[in-house]
Amino acid sequence: MMPYFKFGFFSVDFSLVVAFVIGIGFGFSLERGGFGNARILAAQFYFYNMRVLKVMFTAIVTAMLGLFYFSWIGWLDMSLVYATDTYLLPQIVGGLLLGIGFVIGGYCPGTSVVSMSTGRTDGLIYVLGMLFGIFVFGEVFPLLEGFYNSTYMGRVLLPQYFGVSFGMVVFLVVFMALGAFAAGEWAEKKFAKKGRIAE
Amino acid sequence: MVSLTRFFSKKEKLAEGKTFEPKPYSNPYLVGVGLGLVLLAAYLIMGRGLGASGAASTLVAVTVSKASPEHAAKNNFYKEYLGDENTNPLKDWLVFEVLGVAVGGFLSGTFAHRIKRTTEKGPNVSIKTRLIYAFVGGAIMGFGAKLARGCTSGQALTGGAILNLGSWAFMLAVFGGGYIAAYFIRREWL
Amino acid sequence: MKELILKLSTPKKLAIVAAILGMFALIIGDPTNSNKISVNAKALALSTIKDQDKIDVMTLADWLIKGNADYALIDLRNEKKYSEYNIPSSINIRMEDLLSSDLMRNQKILLYGDDDVAAAQAWFILKSSGFKGVYILEGGMTAWKDEIMFPKLSANATPEQTASFEKAKQVSLFFGGTPQIVSGSESSSAVSMQKAPAQSVPKLTVPANTKSSAKKKKEGC
Repeated sequence: MMPYFKFGFFSVDFSLVVAFVIGIGFGFSLERGGFGNARILAAQFYFYNMRVLKVMFTAIVTAMLGLFYFSWIGWLDMSLVYATDTYLLPQIVGGLLLGIGFVIGGYCPGTSVVSMSTGRTDGLIYVLGMLFGIFVFGEVFPLLEGFYNSTYMGRVLLPQYFGVSFGMVVFLVVFMALGAFAAGEWAEKKFAKKGRIAE
Repeated sequence: MVSLTRFFSKKEKLAEGKTFEPKPYSNPYLVGVGLGLVLLAAYLIMGRGLGASGAASTLVAVTVSKASPEHAAKNNFYKEYLGDENTNPLKDWLVFEVLGVAVGGFLSGTFAHRIKRTTEKGPNVSIKTRLIYAFVGGAIMGFGAKLARGCTSGQALTGGAILNLGSWAFMLAVFGGGYIAAYFIRREWL
Repeated sequence: MKELILKLSTPKKLAIVAAILGMFALIIGDPTNSNKISVNAKALALSTIKDQDKIDVMTLADWLIKGNADYALIDLRNEKKYSEYNIPSSINIRMEDLLSSDLMRNQKILLYGDDDVAAAQAWFILKSSGFKGVYILEGGMTAWKDEIMFPKLSANATPEQTASFEKAKQVSLFFGGTPQIVSGSESSSAVSMQKAPAQSVPKLTVPANTKSSAKKKKEGC
């Protein structure tokens, strides 16, 4: 049965080796996608290069279909896959801040690491800024703790929240993503101008 | 004649030696499938997804507790990342994963000749302005990521694939915040 | 047909695969019903032979004294009883919350209730949900109180009984219990019945659930 780690197939020490290898795959994919480049990431928000949307939703659809079919075959116990508990309001407010920071800084935490390791100075400065932001958060945490723990909903997945079957949500997400890709391709053509980086 | 120019261009490439042109980025959909498979592997092997900001938080928590152990011990946020005293907090899954991310990014960049000491910026801003923006953006992002209990990797990507309610709400908020902010700071990028 | 497929670009092929898989997912509905389980009854039955799944209170006391902590000790009784007295290092989890708790499938889990019944029910719930190392504390809290907290020695005991009582006394004192020698040869049960209300369970010296307060680092980002 998978996930292997939760069934004790290997030790915590070995899990760190797994972490490193998976991290390499993650970083490799991000760089291949052009996510080590702030201009490409920012372009998402001006519609002329929709790589972020394409890569992210393709990845979500791939992994989601994988999870669905692996648990359908019976190889994976989905209830053991970790999902963060939902704290609705802090997550929405945090998400808004994150979006603003994304456009201003040009990276998100994962891509900034790739950017830094491929020699970008702005990536390095971004990482320092992020560490500073986390430090500030840590320092004001006692004041924020109430809000941070508000609107707690536990482990809620979309199918159970909407009361529909897992397959239904998978179906909707797949077709929503395909629609978004079509719209993205259209937007790229419409907003593309000379001098801007395309593919 | 055509063959001659071809010959010369070939020779030129050879003469350039090691300074290869950076290859264009790969097809986004194929990259997406690759990234999705990496994420799926993390789920199947470890029962957890990817992450990034968690490692940074561990780093911050460790630094703070090195500087002032009592101060860190009083704070629930730092305590969460320091864990119990028996294990080194840096011996953490996410810390090793992020080290892998740096290595993986470097490898991919090397193969595609995209390693370059430069600053990515829009045409209308100075490097100094861009770096200030990067720091400020990073700080806002770090703060927001902690409030939301995760960043684009840990929440949007990982939680998105497992259809986590909070992660989808988070993802919509990220795009919403991004598009609103994009209008106001368009000078930085356009 | 073949030409048509060959002519499509890779992203379009991927899109078609995703669409097909998505539609199948809609037909399949729920891949698993996590509350409906299939149990290998034979394997379960076999595991009960030789009492492999039971731990007696003396063994547990021994582990606690030695500081052996490779198991999670779960108290299945209600909160009131738990807060009155519990075995050191135990965590209070109600039976209905067992599956939603953060117990791991590969963890060694030792269960106890007032007696064996609750523990046996919980044992089956966990076993059938794929937890591997699930054990029952034999006799539950009753046995813990009788044998560890208030061990008794009848006055006309054999030398072997006395010897083992000496050991039990040490153990009992470690946990703050009161070992006693039942005097006379009359019905010892009657004596202990009278005595029972007078014995107040010692106040906890070890803070309750020390184990869970040692925070496990969270898995999230």
